[in-house]
Amino acid sequence: MPADIVPTQAAPVEPSGGVIHDIGYQRYEGPRLGRGYAARSLYVHSLRAAFGLGRSAKSKIFPWLVVALVFMIATVAVAVRGQSGTALLGYLQFTDTVSMPTLLFLAVVAPELVSRDLRAHVLPLYFSRPLSRSDYALTKLGAMTTAAWLLLASPQLLMFIGGVFSRKDGMSGLLDELHDFGQGVSYAAIAAVAFSALAVLLASLSSRRAVAAAVIAGVYLVTAPVAVVLATLGGAIGKVSPVINPVTLIEGLERWLYGRNTGVDIGDYGVVYLAVAVVLLVAYVALLLARYRKVAA
Amino acid sequence: MNLTIAGITARGLFGRRRFLLLFPLPVLLLVLTLAAKGAGVAPDHWAPSVIDGMGFAVMVPVIALIVGTGVLGSEIDDGTVVHILAKPLPRHQIIVAKLVVAAGITAVTSAVPMFIVGVLVDSVRFGVALAVACLVAALGYSGVFLAMSLLTRRPVLVGLLYVLIWEALLGNVLTGTRVLSIHQYALTVTHAIAPNDLIKAHVGLPAAIAMTGVFLVGGALLAIDRLRSFSVAGETS
Repeated sequence: MPADIVPTQAAPVEPSGGVIHDIGYQRYEGPRLGRGYAARSLYVHSLRAAFGLGRSAKSKIFPWLVVALVFMIATVAVAVRGQSGTALLGYLQFTDTVSMPTLLFLAVVAPELVSRDLRAHVLPLYFSRPLSRSDYALTKLGAMTTAAWLLLASPQLLMFIGGVFSRKDGMSGLLDELHDFGQGVSYAAIAAVAFSALAVLLASLSSRRAVAAAVIAGVYLVTAPVAVVLATLGGAIGKVSPVINPVTLIEGLERWLYGRNTGVDIGDYGVVYLAVAVVLLVAYVALLLARYRKVAA
Repeated sequence: MNLTIAGITARGLFGRRRFLLLFPLPVLLLVLTLAAKGAGVAPDHWAPSVIDGMGFAVMVPVIALIVGTGVLGSEIDDGTVVHILAKPLPRHQIIVAKLVVAAGITAVTSAVPMFIVGVLVDSVRFGVALAVACLVAALGYSGVFLAMSLLTRRPVLVGLLYVLIWEALLGNVLTGTRVLSIHQYALTVTHAIAPNDLIKAHVGLPAAIAMTGVFLVGGALLAIDRLRSFSVAGETS
């Protein structure tokens, strides 16, 4: 015990001056879990929150409704394939089929992850930890991307298991199936990254969840028909115009990368789709980081 | 119908920044039409996707959604609905006034650009047909979305689900759902007034008119009923 602190039990010696009692506060001397640990915790927490885990039953309704929907589609695909022998729905096609529910999932979940923290003014609590501002933004983006990827890829795992058991050509069939499945999940990752980066950026601009959700859905709603109309004009504009809509952008990219006919006419402009996708992704992430450098904490 | 309520509603709608959201879509529609016409492509290539894909599938429901959930929803959100509810007014007067304002504003903001598009694409008759179809759709959507803003705390989201999942996704996959889609009623009305190959109808005209009435009256009755037992609650979760 330091000499200049008066023990609690001792009677007050000087009635005039103040006295500091040692009431036994202790310094924390355990290990300090740094930035990585904080980011990891935030990531796990956000990923759980994306599906409403650890939240009220009310916030589980929508995410699990979408999960049920995508698994239902996958189950039907597996059943049809098992009965008829031909695949009704391929792995690549699956992502395109469920792109609308996925977008709605993002429109609901991204504000849940990002706008809530803005509205409740809890960012100062995050930033007073070793977690930096860009760590926070990237972690939230990572959690959102993972959630979207799980939503797109896990039904494909079901389709893969079903597909393997419905094949009769042994080892080569398994490898064949594995190749298709690999393409499917890698394309799902592209879709997840492309959609999430946009959704998280838009959600981070508004503290009201309803507004953020409407803006995310609105971007899709407005750009989709514009892309369709421009595509009917034909020529170079018609072949490049699908890039303005996030869904047709990745469908065009899919056609170029995997060679599946997605209904998006890309002509010889496949490289343009890749370039636009990469530029947009970089821009979204840069804007997101800039947003969190400025946001009032 | 209560003119004071209607006046307050209209003022509340025009006085918000949210009102500016109504303009980009009609402007976009006109710009696309002019661009396509300027490019010299035959109208049968682009007119269906402009009028149906952009106009009836997106512009009309989105405008109706913003207005329809705004007339009552924004008052519920900021709590000022209490002032109206505290007045000795029958609930049906409040709902009817709100409904008239919502349908009127939606109809005007969507019918004017659609009329211009119709004239540019084909003829004045086609323009009139599109404008009337917008009015019909505005009535149906306003009934649904007004009721929605009393049934759920997140009316915009539920409305988007209806537009995106029910009308857009299921309307193409399960064609039976078209019977319950306001979008299709608008197409039917257009086709009935100006039959041409640009717009295809999938629902009969009597069914379309009757169902629009059902959506409008049903939505209004539901809203009146919900407003009778409306409880003012704080923001939850």
